[in-house]
This record gives sequence, C-alpha cells and structure tokens, in this order.
Amino acid sequence: MLTVWRAAYRIAWKDVVGDWRQRATLSSMLFFAIAVLVVFQVAFDPDRREATRLLPGLLWVTVLFTSLMGLGRVFQAEEEDGAFEGLLLAAVPRGVVFLGKWLGNLLLTLLVEILLLPLTLVLFNVDAWGQLPVILGVLLLGTLGLTGLGVLLAAMTQAARSRETLLALLLLPLTAPLLIAGVQAVAALLDPGMEAAPWVRLLVIFDVVYLALAPWAFGWLVAE
Amino acid sequence: MSANHQPAGVIPLLSICGVHHSFGRHRVLSGVDLALAVGECGVLLGANGSGKSTLLALLATRFRVQRGAYHLAGLVVAEHGEEVRRRLLFVGHHTHLYGHLTPLENLQFFADLHGLRPDGALLREAVGVAGLARHAEQPVRWFSAGMKKRLALARLLISRPDLLLLDEPYSALDAQGVSWLNALLHRFLQAGGVVVMASHDPERVAALSHRPLRLRGGRLYGQGEEEPC
Repeated sequence: MLTVWRAAYRIAWKDVVGDWRQRATLSSMLFFAIAVLVVFQVAFDPDRREATRLLPGLLWVTVLFTSLMGLGRVFQAEEEDGAFEGLLLAAVPRGVVFLGKWLGNLLLTLLVEILLLPLTLVLFNVDAWGQLPVILGVLLLGTLGLTGLGVLLAAMTQAARSRETLLALLLLPLTAPLLIAGVQAVAALLDPGMEAAPWVRLLVIFDVVYLALAPWAFGWLVAE
Repeated sequence: MSANHQPAGVIPLLSICGVHHSFGRHRVLSGVDLALAVGECGVLLGANGSGKSTLLALLATRFRVQRGAYHLAGLVVAEHGEEVRRRLLFVGHHTHLYGHLTPLENLQFFADLHGLRPDGALLREAVGVAGLARHAEQPVRWFSAGMKKRLALARLLISRPDLLLLDEPYSALDAQGVSWLNALLHRFLQAGGVVVMASHDPERVAALSHRPLRLRGGRLYGQGEEEPC
C-alpha cells in the first residue's frame, strides 16, 4: 500500500515541480481566471445585492474554464520522450498512474481557487469573508469530482487532433450536474434562507462515483 | 538450433510459446516461440516492420498477450503484470526521461514507480556509472541523445532486473558509448540476467556472446534455421 501511495505522490510531485520550474500551467490558469473575473465585473458592474446573487455562478464558471486549461495540459509532459509509455511500464496498477496525475492536477487547481476566491469577493464587493473557509470547502468538494472526471477525459482525448475542443465538449455536459450542485451549495451559503446540506451531499455523491470509476476506467483505457 | 532450444536441464528464465499478435487485421507475430536461460542474450534481427519492436513491447507487457503463453521467472505474465514489470527494464527508442528533472530526480522517479527504495549513494553511483556525475544537478532537457540513453540504461543499477529489453540500444551512442554499453551488458549477463535486444547493427553486438534470432513473416528463426520451431 505504501508503494502505491509513494508512486502516486511521485507522479504528482513530478507534475507540480515541472509546472513550477517551467511556469507553465499554474501561471496561465491564474492569469486566465483573473481575466475572466475582471471581464465579468466590468461587463455586469453589479451592485452588492446582485453580485451576491451572481457570485456562485460566476465563481463556478471561472473554476470550470480555468480547470479546462489545466486539464488540457495534464498529459502534455508525458508526450516528451515516450514518458507516458514509461508510466505504463511502472510496477504499479494503472489506476495508481491515474491517481498521481489526478493529485497533481487537483493541487494546481486548488491553488488557483485559493487565490481566486478572495479576489472574487474583493472584485465583486461581496461581504462573505466569514463564509470563506466553508465556500473553499465546497470548491474543494466540487473540484475533487471535476478534476477526477477531467483527468480521465484528458487521457481519453490526448491522442486526438483537436483534443482541447474534444475535452471541453465531453467535460461540460458530464460535469453539469456537479456544477449545478456546486453553484447551489455556494448560493445557499450566501443566502441564509437556503439550505446547503442537500447540495453538499450531492457533491459528495458525484465525487464518490467519479473517483471510484475513474481509476478503473483509466486502467481499461490504457490497457493496450 | 531452434529459437526456443535449451540444453537439457536448463530452466529458461524467459519463455514465450505460440505467441500471436495482431493490430486489427494486420498480423505481426504468428506463433513465436522463444526461451532464454540466465546469462543469455538474444538479438532480434530482421527487416523493418518484421515485428522486432512489437515483440519487445509485448515482452515489456506494453501489449497484452492475445494468444500464446509468456512466462518470466516462473510467473505467468498475464496474471502478474506488476511483479513482472518490477523484474524487467525496457529501454526503447524513447528514454522515458523528464526534461525538467535532473538525472538524480529521474532515477528517484523511476525507483518510486517500481516500488524500490534506493539510497542517495546508489542513485549517485548510477549517475556516475552513466558518466554523468558532473551533470547530476542539471535538467535532462539539455542532455544529448547519447547522454539520455546512458542515463536510461543506468536504471539497470537501480532496479537490478531479471530481464533487460533493448530496442536499437546502440543508436545515439558514440564508439566510447558502445564499449560502455557492451561492458554493462556483459556484467549484467554474468550476474544472471537475460537480455533481448533488437538491433540493425550486428557488428556492434559481436563483442557480446549472443544468440541471433531472426524475425521473418511474423515467426522467429534461430541461426541457420529454415523452419521455425
């Protein structure tokens, strides 16, 4: 079991270190997220009440598009010198390779979200600082499933010619229920009249389903 | 001598029997038999497209065995994929190295993915054996093809596999690199390993004691044989 976690950790470490050294994915994800939020803010120029109503949707749309950018690059490093083949020749179950790739992507996406959330509250002048840790928790829950399914779809589409378009076309409809649950959960946290628990439970269910099936599906996908 | 011939009483470390492999309707291997005992080096010869790389990829477990049997060290490969992958090292046309990592980091990555826990001294020794001690802290991205190949082969010292699979190992190596590789392979074979390599360059392999194995029409022939076994 230790071997499995060590291997997954090492794959994730390799991806995060690679990104840090090459300033590749994290910086562009962050820049993209800030650009999207600024455009939304300038375009809508909402008052505080309207901003509170719009914020959950804007936040999740930004998270989704930013994740897409990271997911499009998740297997890029593996194209170098047959590295993906090297991963498949590792003496660990193929699901562990998925786990490592997912952990690396999850970490990068969460880092962006941690920086993104306070920035969103400032830009839209929404006073939800007391709810910040709970909203981050909801973002974490949603991101677990979003990146889990996303990394699987990125593996499926990596050989396609227009893989980034294909990835978006597959990911958007498949994660729609998860995104709706995420938006509703954040909205409930900002509106005392709403209940967040059912939506959070739904997020947990999606996470369990996606993350239970994805490593198995990945193993099957790369079998030959 | 047939491709799967073994002297009486010698148990092969590697054995494949009646192996077929097709890509769609295109059959590449049709009933390949091969048995190699410890210390043996089989050199796959054959024209382009004869199936050398496919056979090596199949031995490396990159492809599943569609028909036939494959055993390594007594293990049925189809049932013990991970254990088998721990016991073999495959260095093909690609080196499976990450350009943004240093040689030491690349070796540590390889070790962790094979369930190995080498200490820092062993990693540095492997980098030294590859002649890259001076470059141990540099990203591999800046290395020449020959340096990358040496580093990929230095994994041998980390994992100490039973089976070494090489696809055109002499490509990208200079004369000094060829001697270095032959010395490395000689030590590996003496220590009880088995080597299967594909090479277009039999002259460079000549320094090693080896069994020539010719792939033709999807079948494997031993030296001087007209009929496959």
